[in-house]
Amino acid sequence: MKTSFVSVMSVLVLAVPVSRGIAAAPTWEDDIRPIFKSRCFKCHGEDEQKSDLSLHTLGAALKGGSSGEVLKKGRPNSSLLVQSIEHAEGVEKMPPKALKMPEEEIELIRQWILAGMPAGAGNMPQAARLVFAAVPAGERPEKPAMPSGLPADEPVTGLSNPVTALAASPWAPLVAIGGEGRVRFVHAETKESLGAVPFPEGIPQVLRFSRDGALLLAAGGKPVQSGKAVLYEVTTGKRLGAFGDESDTVLAADLSADSQWVALGGPGKAVKVFRVADGKLAYKLTKHTDWITALEFSPDGKRLVTGDRSGGIHVWEAEGGALVLGLSEHKESIHALAWRPDGKVVASGSEDGSVILWGIEDGFPLATLSKIHTPKLRPGEYGKKPGGVLGLAWTGEGNLLTTGRDRTSRLWDSVGGKLAESAPFKELPSKVAGTCVGKRVAIGNARGELTWWEPATQ
Amino acid sequence: MVILCALSGSGLSFAAGNPGPLPAKASETTADQASGGKTGVARALDLSFREDVMPVFFRANCNSGGCHGAAAGKDGFRLSLFGYDAAGDYYRLTQQMLGRRVNVAAPDESLLLLKATGAVPHTGGTLFSKDSEHYRVLREWIRQGAVDDLETVAEVTGIRVEPERMVFEGGGQNRPLKVIASYSDGRTRDMTALSLFLSNNKTTADVDDDGVVHAGRRGATDVFARFNRFTVGIAVTVLPRGDNFEWPADAVARNTLDEAVFQKLKSLRIQPSKRCEDGEFLRRVTLDLVGLPPTEEEARAFLADGSPDKRERLVDRLLERPEYADVWASRWADWVKLMGDTFSGGGTDNKNAVGYFQWITEQFQKNVPLDVFLREQITSKGSTILQPMSNFYTMLPTLGKYDPKEMAQRVAQLTMGIRIGCAECHNHPFDRWTQDDYYGFVSFFTGVQRKKGSEEREFYVYDDRQHRPALHQLDQRPMPAKFLGGEKPEIRGRDPRIALAEWITSAENRLFANSMANRIWAQFFGRGVVEPVDDLRITNPPSNVELFEELGRRLVAHGFDQKKLIREIVTSATYQLSSAVNASNREDERQFSHSMVRRLSAVAALDAVASVTGVDTVWKTQPGLYRAAQMFNPGIRNGSYFLTCFGQSERVSVDAGSDNREPSLSQTMHLISGDTVRDRIRVSGVIREWMNQGASPERVVESLYLRSLCRQPSEAELAVFWRVSGSSPAQADYERLWWALMNSTEFLFQH
Repeated sequence: MKTSFVSVMSVLVLAVPVSRGIAAAPTWEDDIRPIFKSRCFKCHGEDEQKSDLSLHTLGAALKGGSSGEVLKKGRPNSSLLVQSIEHAEGVEKMPPKALKMPEEEIELIRQWILAGMPAGAGNMPQAARLVFAAVPAGERPEKPAMPSGLPADEPVTGLSNPVTALAASPWAPLVAIGGEGRVRFVHAETKESLGAVPFPEGIPQVLRFSRDGALLLAAGGKPVQSGKAVLYEVTTGKRLGAFGDESDTVLAADLSADSQWVALGGPGKAVKVFRVADGKLAYKLTKHTDWITALEFSPDGKRLVTGDRSGGIHVWEAEGGALVLGLSEHKESIHALAWRPDGKVVASGSEDGSVILWGIEDGFPLATLSKIHTPKLRPGEYGKKPGGVLGLAWTGEGNLLTTGRDRTSRLWDSVGGKLAESAPFKELPSKVAGTCVGKRVAIGNARGELTWWEPATQ
Repeated sequence: MVILCALSGSGLSFAAGNPGPLPAKASETTADQASGGKTGVARALDLSFREDVMPVFFRANCNSGGCHGAAAGKDGFRLSLFGYDAAGDYYRLTQQMLGRRVNVAAPDESLLLLKATGAVPHTGGTLFSKDSEHYRVLREWIRQGAVDDLETVAEVTGIRVEPERMVFEGGGQNRPLKVIASYSDGRTRDMTALSLFLSNNKTTADVDDDGVVHAGRRGATDVFARFNRFTVGIAVTVLPRGDNFEWPADAVARNTLDEAVFQKLKSLRIQPSKRCEDGEFLRRVTLDLVGLPPTEEEARAFLADGSPDKRERLVDRLLERPEYADVWASRWADWVKLMGDTFSGGGTDNKNAVGYFQWITEQFQKNVPLDVFLREQITSKGSTILQPMSNFYTMLPTLGKYDPKEMAQRVAQLTMGIRIGCAECHNHPFDRWTQDDYYGFVSFFTGVQRKKGSEEREFYVYDDRQHRPALHQLDQRPMPAKFLGGEKPEIRGRDPRIALAEWITSAENRLFANSMANRIWAQFFGRGVVEPVDDLRITNPPSNVELFEELGRRLVAHGFDQKKLIREIVTSATYQLSSAVNASNREDERQFSHSMVRRLSAVAALDAVASVTGVDTVWKTQPGLYRAAQMFNPGIRNGSYFLTCFGQSERVSVDAGSDNREPSLSQTMHLISGDTVRDRIRVSGVIREWMNQGASPERVVESLYLRSLCRQPSEAELAVFWRVSGSSPAQADYERLWWALMNSTEFLFQH
């Protein structure tokens, strides 16, 4: 079998996450112990250890107390200590019977946890090996599939809904975007319309090309009425099959790398996995407690990652649906999940404003990009503006594209180092996809338009 | 608080079905001309999110507390309660889940409309139909692109309700209300169809969803219209049809308070009761002013006194008695949650509590004006042991922690009788307080700091001049200290509480004077003109506005000298009315047309038993002889079952109603068989002493009646006694009679 390798930027073996100034990361000795000393030692120190918890030494702090671990490396939101000092619902508030600790101190503790809880400046933890190597990215077809002879995309007369689904073919200069009752195709090079196929089920919420670019999965429906996933042949626009018969729109769906499985989910809170061959339900995953908002099969087809509206993420065996990992750290809805093309990292984008790159071997958050799409406050403005990450996609080169509520799109390297940032768009960019035409990026916006961005990188 | 929020939606009329049509846009400016206002700025034809769409959510109850207005939303979709956060609502509708809730390409497919019309399953049911005006407005707004209008929209500046009052002659009649909203660009608009209505007393006057008032039984109440963040009430009076009302000739006003009461009674065609008997007055006023029943000697002397001004002279004498200060200290201790403990850790040790209680008692002994009394506490600082008034900042907050928001709420409730707590999370749904008002007020208290003093029990209270103002809950905007509904004082480098205390207690602040005077009034009538006395709001107005205002004016005129106002109150004709009712005032409980029968407070009841029997109370926790009113810690903390059983405030809430006067079976059982009465009768030597002195049986019975009930026995009562006990009763017979008298409702109640 002749396997072509995606050409990649030179091998990235980086000692530290590049996105954060590590020099400024707080350390146990200089920053954290003094805070604990003034706030916590009275009850959790050398002399007294309430709930068996001592914060007197780093070792003791990492050991935890009678409720188990209180600090989770790289995951401040999931650390019991952070939850209790932030007075989160359902946990005992610390310090007890007093007001919250100052925000600056809490933030310092968060940063320290994110940095991997270094003991001192001299012994920063070795950043994990975030290698993105050239990987087999599937067989490049002789003639990448392009649609032809599709009915013309009727011009829109009234207003359009936001672009809720967008995908780029991995091999052909082709972009598919969802519209009211149809899927439109656009040539990524000439930017001309290539026609549309009907999606009478309603509004597509997901579009996914197969690995070879020959098939397109569209999933969506009508809110609180019906939902389905439909498989099309790209060249002819022919419907090959439909999956699911949901009572609400489908919000997340994917086709496995070997085109054996279709997974879908939505407000029903269950992930359903169908066999493509006969369209029958293979299994159902019912662990999520909120709407399924994102899911994706791994590039090798062995794993499935799913995310929900409360921020929960689970990784499963694609075959049979055994639970592999639970990745809890996001505080709000997951908007997008995407496997890095080498299958070693999953990127998650959330309404909480952060992107987390998860090492999929052990579920460790290799990098957390916080507040990357939070709009800047204008003079005289206060508070927090919604800063969710809306769109997220890997390029074939192993770079990460994001869009969000600050109306920009950004490009990151495979370990979360920033490469480029667009100027703010006029309309909210809801979805993003990297095309195979140079560095061209397709962006769908809240007015239902398709726009383009050519990131300028060094 | 939580309960209040949960209830807040339920008191309103639900607006399901088809509301009346909106006025056509074209006619809006002409409405202005018709009402004589200056012509408003013409508005774009487009529908406005804030002006047109938000009111639909309000009227259709989408954003009420039980539905999407709940703090956590409902079924994943949240709207701000009653629409206090339009920007947030716009975001959640159009941006949070792109393309789901509104569908600009196919407006009829918008989930918002499908849910509201019940076309798809909706927990809240069908709110309006597809052919309703509500539907038309929402659909059209979506069709136009569901645009925001923050930059351009005119704000609602107020609402007016027409007519301003309603008087019905007899029930069964209807009359419509009209709600006119005014906007910041000068326009006015009839918003009756988008307003909500409620009535404080549906049996007197109910109001339906369309704002039509239906007259019911005789009485006076208030009916309210709510639109945007404004609530306006109108007084509705329902009079009996065709009665031959005559004002009794002997009901003559003795002062301006009487004039206000009588004026209101005349307008309601209610006749006041007769003047009460001397014995009734003596017992009533003595219990009210000194917290004790009159002694036998006092009773005999007063009843024998033939001078016309004997009631006034009695009042003057009582006001000078030392027990007067104890009564008020005990009340204020309830109100400021004064209590002590051993090793409390929160600056509320017994030493602090005793010091604070003594300080309060001294203030009333010296008759310090109320404005000074409160100013000293609000601005207090220093050691809680050396400066006892600074315990204001240890007793009022929840034990062990100081939260400026909580402190601000409690001070507002205590001094001005208003509850601003709702505005912490959203504009007050039934009053005028907004979140801006709330956080501006909280900023007066953000600098208060407390630290442990040189000994364990001592706290130091001080103001940190470097403090930062409170942050607005919605957008974390710093809110400089601002008086409620007033201005922002210059406080840089000063303790802001000084400016606050001056503003609160100034004669111009009607909230303070009226609230303080109303608290005092309530002590003498069993209820305030505003009731509860610490919950004045637009939807809980005074039962007699003129009386409420006049009380405040009199208190100000007396320089906040409480004794002078009390003297006016207890010498008024109103206070001296009998509790016996007539046909026209039988049902009146709000207009003071007769004396209300009131149970003694727990403290007064215990002191009454002790005083009548001459046997002092022995306290488990404290040596020495004290009346209950002199105890800094009455009730459960000093192990008094009697006080706990009779509803003594536990002093855990600043609510004035924490002192519970509800009768209960355990109270009755305790008086019948508990040790409080029975043991005292046994050890009291008074009956034996009378018998030893050779008092006649008639004289002994009379003395027992005068001591216990402040009156002579009736013929019928005597007949029963002689029949049961024979003509020469033994000591045990008298003791049984005495026991029966102290078990009578007459003993435990003021009438």
